[in-house]
Amino acid sequence: MRRLIPVLGLGLSLAASAPAQVPMTAIDSARHVLNRLAYGAAPGQIDAIAHEGVLKWVDRQLGFNDVHDPALSDLERSFDVLQVSRLEMQQMLQNNQAKNQKAQAVGDSTTRQKLLDQLRMEQQGDRRSLQAMIGQLQTVTMARAVESDHQLDEILADFWTNHFNVFINKGQDRAYFADYLEKTIRGHALGRFDDLLIATAKSPAMLFYLDNAESVADGSDVILAAGRAGRGGRGIFPNPRAGVFPPNGIDPMSPTAQQQAKARAPKGLNENYARELMELHTLGVDGGYTQQDVIAVARILTGWTIDRRNASYTFRDPVHDNLPKIVLGQKFDGAHAEDEGMRLLKMLASEPATMHHVSAQLCARFVNDVAPDGCIDDAVHAWKKSNGDIREVVRAILHSPDFWAAANVQGKVKTPLEFVASALRAVGATPDSTPRLAQRVAQLGEPLFQHATPDGYGERQQDWVNSGALLARMNFAVQLASGRMPGATVNLDNVVPLTDDHAVLVEAINTAVLGGLMSSQTRQTILKEIADVPDPRMARALAVGFAIGGPEFQRQ
Amino acid sequence: MTINRRAFMKAGGLALVSLGADPIFLDRAAYALTSARGAVAGKKTLVCLFQRGAVDGLSMIVPVGDPWYWQERQRIALPKEQLIPLDGMFGLHPRLAPLKPLWDQHSLAIVHAVGSPSTTRSHFDAQDYMESGTPDVKSTPSGWANRYCNHPEEHSSTPFRAVAFGPQLPRTLAGSAPALAIDDLRTFGMRAAQASGEQKLTRAFEELYQGAATGLVASSSAESFEAIKMLKTANPTLIAPANGANYGKNKLATSLQQIAQLIKSDLGVEIAFVDVGGWDTHVNQGADQGQLAGRLDDLAGALGAFTTDLGERMRDVVVITMSEFGRTVKENGTSGTDHGHGTAMMIMGGNVQGGKVYGKWPGLAPEQRYEGRDLAVTTDFRSVFSEVLQGHLGPANISQIFPGFDRPAKVGMFS
Repeated sequence: MRRLIPVLGLGLSLAASAPAQVPMTAIDSARHVLNRLAYGAAPGQIDAIAHEGVLKWVDRQLGFNDVHDPALSDLERSFDVLQVSRLEMQQMLQNNQAKNQKAQAVGDSTTRQKLLDQLRMEQQGDRRSLQAMIGQLQTVTMARAVESDHQLDEILADFWTNHFNVFINKGQDRAYFADYLEKTIRGHALGRFDDLLIATAKSPAMLFYLDNAESVADGSDVILAAGRAGRGGRGIFPNPRAGVFPPNGIDPMSPTAQQQAKARAPKGLNENYARELMELHTLGVDGGYTQQDVIAVARILTGWTIDRRNASYTFRDPVHDNLPKIVLGQKFDGAHAEDEGMRLLKMLASEPATMHHVSAQLCARFVNDVAPDGCIDDAVHAWKKSNGDIREVVRAILHSPDFWAAANVQGKVKTPLEFVASALRAVGATPDSTPRLAQRVAQLGEPLFQHATPDGYGERQQDWVNSGALLARMNFAVQLASGRMPGATVNLDNVVPLTDDHAVLVEAINTAVLGGLMSSQTRQTILKEIADVPDPRMARALAVGFAIGGPEFQRQ
Repeated sequence: MTINRRAFMKAGGLALVSLGADPIFLDRAAYALTSARGAVAGKKTLVCLFQRGAVDGLSMIVPVGDPWYWQERQRIALPKEQLIPLDGMFGLHPRLAPLKPLWDQHSLAIVHAVGSPSTTRSHFDAQDYMESGTPDVKSTPSGWANRYCNHPEEHSSTPFRAVAFGPQLPRTLAGSAPALAIDDLRTFGMRAAQASGEQKLTRAFEELYQGAATGLVASSSAESFEAIKMLKTANPTLIAPANGANYGKNKLATSLQQIAQLIKSDLGVEIAFVDVGGWDTHVNQGADQGQLAGRLDDLAGALGAFTTDLGERMRDVVVITMSEFGRTVKENGTSGTDHGHGTAMMIMGGNVQGGKVYGKWPGLAPEQRYEGRDLAVTTDFRSVFSEVLQGHLGPANISQIFPGFDRPAKVGMFS
């Protein structure tokens, strides 16, 4: 019977015939899907979706009928970072590094500092600098979260960005991350899981972040022929055998350069990616693999590296480990070069442990911090049936009785990104074209793309709820509602009409901002606190600030 | 208050140069001056510093006397001549030099080959176990330090009993006892153009959250508002570093400075927590220069400033460093180290019997290693934590704080 609940959303009229023990109205259903499949409701959106039919809207979000959003396409065109290639970004990074090195080499400390400051100013002032590009990436992410009609895409992009986390500030990843987000993650967010996994495995961003680009067969320096040399960015040194191109103009054939390169060249395995691939990306930490499996996976993936000449993935056979390996009891005879890596990734993508682990994480995102078993089962079932079609897995979760269970509605606390995006949507605010809004998300504890460790940002309330973070949210809310927030334009007239009648005002805020969920205590407190505010504009701003900064709005 | 603080600073400065067999903090005359300021609650503080990412203990506290160290680390071993000799067997990483005076004054103890009985090499599981205090048990809902704070008598009057610095409340302090998370003391509170506006906002939000919040949101917000009131009176951020202490500009240094400010304000901080990342050195770890050296520089600089700043007051403060596990004995193929097992912890201040490396050294020969590759664990981290709690903070119910760990081994740091 619980299966019937989503159907109720198909029309307002059906809600009336709902069984007594199911309290959800079409309005409730609409609010719930907007909270979980979207960054909250924009003004009037709950009513609109309840009217359209909740499941119809959900299907549209799942892409069965396309969501047309020409306004967003226009917006995206204004961001250079979405048009710049990985190679161009790499050149920017290398130029910066070269200039920086030159400045650093100046003997006189005053001149040196002056040069470095000058460089920084140049970077900040240049609309097309690497720093500006990274800022744009955060800006466009906020703009999409707030304004895109295809909200589920944004939610899943955020989910996979954290599942396959890459730290944007690690060396070369400053250059590789934009492409990683746009093509690798967003390009596969609603596609097949194995495609997504393989795309991340071959992305220069991941290859650099988890060091696989540097991992070579043990003792492979015997293979080293006189080759190119050169210094890479911070945190990595080039592997000459892997075809790393000299970025800094030092003659790669000079004896010094070759000596340096040889001394620094990788001489063997690096287990970093192999471990996180199984622990975080696929099987899960209790997925049954051993230290021997970690080593075997690392060996299989030797040779998967970055060709810096074109800033792309490449396979380098000379550093690949050709000996036989065994992973999870499966033999890899070693004679298949790059193909054995592909076989490995496909195998990992279809392991039952992977289905369970990734499904549980999706359920934690969409349903409850503690993913309910029934919902995980539904997701795994859909995974098996569809061979890992993410769209089908998400669809199964959204149709699972757990998704609609009363205990799970309003049962999650918003992450900082969700809080900020939903606050802007609630008051119909528009992000501006600067990274200032993203900076506010950072101040609330979630600097975008800057989670240093491979686990990504957490999804549970204990990851985000604490004394300092709550105060920061309250401050944000007051500032946003007062229209004084850098990074966003707010016009409350579009959301809550101006009135001297405080009771009418607060009820309008309840409907527009809190989706009708304002508690009686909250209502009384807001009324009391604005009673002595004669200016209706100030009273409205204050009341909206209290509503967004208050406890109800922290939940979803 | 002003006069007393000035006297304290002067005395603290003197204490710093009075080297001797006693820990530097035992200048009783100066201590009497600080006591006159009147503490509101228990005076002892434990500062937990978590090195997230698994620090290479073999680079922090180098086993110079073990030939396998040199054998296995051709590219990343510290240059022998640069190591700071500790006791013949061990040498300190040159970038930890700011901590050497503490060692000389017997105020810095080291426990080597310490770690968890869990076999995991997952950062996240291992951190979880070290924070929950229950290795291999994932279902433990609370952190060990929070369970310590569950004894009701002391500190009941202050929200500052357990404070974490950072944007998130760490697992170590999660649980039913109140615990604050403060990213930066200077911005903690409601902000408005005028003081009256600030008061109005604070009052309104306090009431909103009292009225309609539930669960973790309710308890966390209640603690915030209580803390705001106390900070308003105490104003700790106005306290300047004493004794010429020079905190760096990094986040760790700022957090430690603010912890010192809270301690000096006598707000009743019993457990403070701060974490610092960047220890997961898989590639180009470096030796006396490079990645790890840079991290250790920040760490030692901040800790050096903290102990200098607190001066005499360090007799009431113990700092303990911890990390989820150590790193491979043998360097990997990319001049770094992969995930290992045992590592080293540093314990400084209070009555710790410093100037000594505690724990049985298991040796680095292949057959002596854990699974043939890592430094073996000879001291359970819970034994160290238990001893620090009891030796510094006072009686503690260890079987409740570390369930399933009834008989901690004696390490000997406080005997």
